[in-house]
Amino acid sequence: MAEGTHENVVCTFCGCLCDDLKLEVKDNKITDNENGCAISKAKFLHHAEDRLEGPSIRSNGTSTKVSLKDAVTRAVDLIANSKRLLVYGLSSTENDAHREAYKIAEEAGGVVDNTSSVCHGPTILGAQESGEVVAALAEVRHRSDLVIYWGSNPQFAHPRHMNLHTKAAGEWIKDPKTERKIWVVDIRKTISAGVADKYIQIEPGTDLEVISAMRALARGKILDIDKVGGQSVKDLKELVEAMKAAKYGVLFFGLGLTQSKGRHRNIDAAIRLVQDLNHHTKWSMMPMRGHYNVAGANKTSTWQTGYPYAVDYSRGYPRYQPGEFTAVDMLARGEADVLLNIAADPAAHFPRDALKHMGNIPIINLDPKQNMTSLLAEVNIPTAIAGIECDGAATRMDGLPLYLKKVVEPPEDFLPDRDILKMIYEGLRRVKK
Amino acid sequence: MSKDIILTNGRVYDPMHGIEGEVKDICISDGKIVEKVNGSAKKIDLKGKLVMAGGVDMHSHIVGSKVGVGRAICPEDHRKDPVPKTKDTRGGVGYTMPNSYVIGYRYSSMGYTTVIEPALPALKALGSWEEMEDLPNLNSGLLPMFCNSMITFDYVKEGDQSGLAAFIAWTLQKVGGLGVKMVNPGGTYAWAHGVDLRDHEGEIPGWGITPKDVTRSVCKAVEALKLPHMMHFHPNNLGRVGNVETTIAQLDMIKDIKGHGGRDHICHLTHMSFETLSSVEGGDLDWGSIESGGYKFAQYMNKNKHFTADMGQITFGPATTMTGDGPFEFYLYQLTGGKWVSLAVDVELPGGAGIVPYTYSPKAAGNSVQWAIPLEFALSVDDVWRCIISTDHPNAGPFTKYPLVFSWLMSKKQRDIWMEDMHKFAHERTILPTIEREWSLQDVVISTRASPAKILGIEKTKGHLGVGADADVSVYDVDTTKVDFAKNPDKIIKVFSESFLTFLGGKQVSKKGKVKGVPNEGVLTIHPEINESLWARINKELEQKMNNWYSHSFHNYPVPDVYRKHLEKKTVIDSTSVPA
Repeated sequence: MAEGTHENVVCTFCGCLCDDLKLEVKDNKITDNENGCAISKAKFLHHAEDRLEGPSIRSNGTSTKVSLKDAVTRAVDLIANSKRLLVYGLSSTENDAHREAYKIAEEAGGVVDNTSSVCHGPTILGAQESGEVVAALAEVRHRSDLVIYWGSNPQFAHPRHMNLHTKAAGEWIKDPKTERKIWVVDIRKTISAGVADKYIQIEPGTDLEVISAMRALARGKILDIDKVGGQSVKDLKELVEAMKAAKYGVLFFGLGLTQSKGRHRNIDAAIRLVQDLNHHTKWSMMPMRGHYNVAGANKTSTWQTGYPYAVDYSRGYPRYQPGEFTAVDMLARGEADVLLNIAADPAAHFPRDALKHMGNIPIINLDPKQNMTSLLAEVNIPTAIAGIECDGAATRMDGLPLYLKKVVEPPEDFLPDRDILKMIYEGLRRVKK
Repeated sequence: MSKDIILTNGRVYDPMHGIEGEVKDICISDGKIVEKVNGSAKKIDLKGKLVMAGGVDMHSHIVGSKVGVGRAICPEDHRKDPVPKTKDTRGGVGYTMPNSYVIGYRYSSMGYTTVIEPALPALKALGSWEEMEDLPNLNSGLLPMFCNSMITFDYVKEGDQSGLAAFIAWTLQKVGGLGVKMVNPGGTYAWAHGVDLRDHEGEIPGWGITPKDVTRSVCKAVEALKLPHMMHFHPNNLGRVGNVETTIAQLDMIKDIKGHGGRDHICHLTHMSFETLSSVEGGDLDWGSIESGGYKFAQYMNKNKHFTADMGQITFGPATTMTGDGPFEFYLYQLTGGKWVSLAVDVELPGGAGIVPYTYSPKAAGNSVQWAIPLEFALSVDDVWRCIISTDHPNAGPFTKYPLVFSWLMSKKQRDIWMEDMHKFAHERTILPTIEREWSLQDVVISTRASPAKILGIEKTKGHLGVGADADVSVYDVDTTKVDFAKNPDKIIKVFSESFLTFLGGKQVSKKGKVKGVPNEGVLTIHPEINESLWARINKELEQKMNNWYSHSFHNYPVPDVYRKHLEKKTVIDSTSVPA
């Protein structure tokens, strides 16, 4: 690739997809990442480290390097002989790879799920109940005078989110320090709470109660209790009045809301609260998506299968059932007999029951780097890193699609996920004929 | 290269060439209709069959962010309509928002070959191009919206017509659009300020201009650029009782704008079901006083030649309303109390697009009148060439209901059957029961093939069967000399629900409902070339505006070639006459 400076490069770490990175490339190495946050710098400057060493096949506990062709052949063989394939991951790779993954799942009559089933899956379920008033990031900067982060710690997980979008001046918010308020709702005082205008501490597991109480108050109902979730009803009423008085409010929410007690009910309630507030003023909301392209995984899955995640093809057509066709459940029930894992690390994140079953079944693992799953996998196929070593498209947390650039060459013989998946799919078609 | 084909003995309807029911051979070579083919061509005998050009749907929401969000939040919409994979097709789901594959297959099996997505937020165009990669069996195209963009407002406010035209040209080039869409100009934007602006002469907050200024300026810019497709217009004040008056006023206000090259039409007006509601005299403009404005609007159309219109026919049953008109969707949500989505899109559509699932009922007063409106209109217009059949899929109903719409237009008997149990308002507040007119088969062919192709400006290759046209052909299993459609409405539905054969670019893609999946046939785009100094100016100005207003870089706005090149069928037009 071109030596020198690459500008307007999209960062492929979190759902912010900041697209203002300025990279210096020398001798096919990234030597500088201007504008990126600390995580972005680590990702781009150290992209060549901890890589998988080449295609390998493990047998009797020993991993042996093989050719890419042999690794693909073994993968095809495993999938062709599986009764219940699970395809999982996808949120840390680009959209064209997803297409091939769905084709494999359909061809094999398997299940395909993405990582949103363990992060913002409840957000989608909430929206399936009630709809959603979705914000856009530029809108937030130009218009919002009240921003709430609920169960989300952006300073830690999305380090430039506040600086770029909620603490920056916009068209109608010239001085964000005086014209915009930022609140953080959480169960503990996070570093984000430390830089907010207001920190609202609630008791763990009470999000649903607190939101429901706020919704009732917003509708003018009188509550016959004094406290909800550690907050006095009087204080909550003040919050609600301030929310109604805002000109343009935005609620950002993270896994503290989606994965705590109540899960999709929390989101449903939050959506209804925001919808109700629109009878008084403008309010919208946005999930703080974690992996850079988890929003893309939902999007591609939706247009290609009809459903955003948890899709089963065993009947030849897509069926959707979170809780049944979600990866953790498929594994914990001992149902999947082969796992094709793409750009995710379930071994590092899944609960024990699921992990236990992962130890019993063959895993085909596509990833640029070594990780917990690669230690378990029977077949490891190293890949090029999307947005660094190959191009592609991804979707930002607010739905904006962005083009990912290739800035350096991948290690020799490391192909993009899409190319390897295509080889597996074509192999599968040949075997099945 | 595929083998040449000759379709013989079929009864051909090709209104662009004045052909109505002639027995005629159609020759296909290399994806095109040709004069003749040699003796080795594959011969298909179509004796007793009906032949016409492939259907052209100029207004159907088939790709993009709001379709995606709609699909994602409504699993219940797809669940009862599974579509298993076959040897030749991918699996999927159907109903009002099918997955992308099933959209292509279902259009193919009905004999449609070109479908245009009429509402693209331009900054999300990359996502739509990615999606069209998976939209098989069709030619497609995208109409970017310019109606609620701060960049549009800025040029309108400055009175900079050249700048506005250049912005439109730049966007069409960079994102691959086919034409210009306007949805509730200024109104959606105003809603981001919490203002419900439905009056086209009201002020857009903060800009000192009105929706009328925006609509007129954009309409003029479209003509100055000489775009083949005229301004595609969803006016202010949609879906409100009494809005036939405001719709007419908004058409009146652009009447003086001259079409380029002397063309008559400068505007295509969308979906009559939602644009031409009238109210009883002395009524309060509430739903209780709703009356059909279809006839009134047809009279207006008969007297005024500057626009065309599509029906957006309500088909009853489940639908999903989705539009760039966010405030209307909020209003509808207040009526339904069900799911509601609003989607803000940065400075291009700040107030947001909206989505609300909706079920139209013939027992509901408002719905029954809304059903009658476009029919009353279509059956009262003098010139069928100006009246396009659509359901504004999936807003008024899914596109799969087109055959039912044909039956209402072609058969008075069918209308009477449907009206029997309908809400009394359909009888009292419309004149539909008194209308005897029945559309001919040729009228339907005009309205679903020839005319939409002309309005879109793609009539060189689409909408007809003349030499040089793309070999998009649909064949239906009916001998038109032996059937009286008006007396047999069920036959209309049966015949047009499933083509006997559909050809797309010369490839046979469907036979009696059995579809063969083929890749997207191509995305039609317009590439207006403006003069160099204007090009330099607009690049400089847009870089500054976008870097100020957007949350991503000007340089990352265009859709990269890698997503376009293999799909794009680009028409370059000379717009260098726009002064710098």
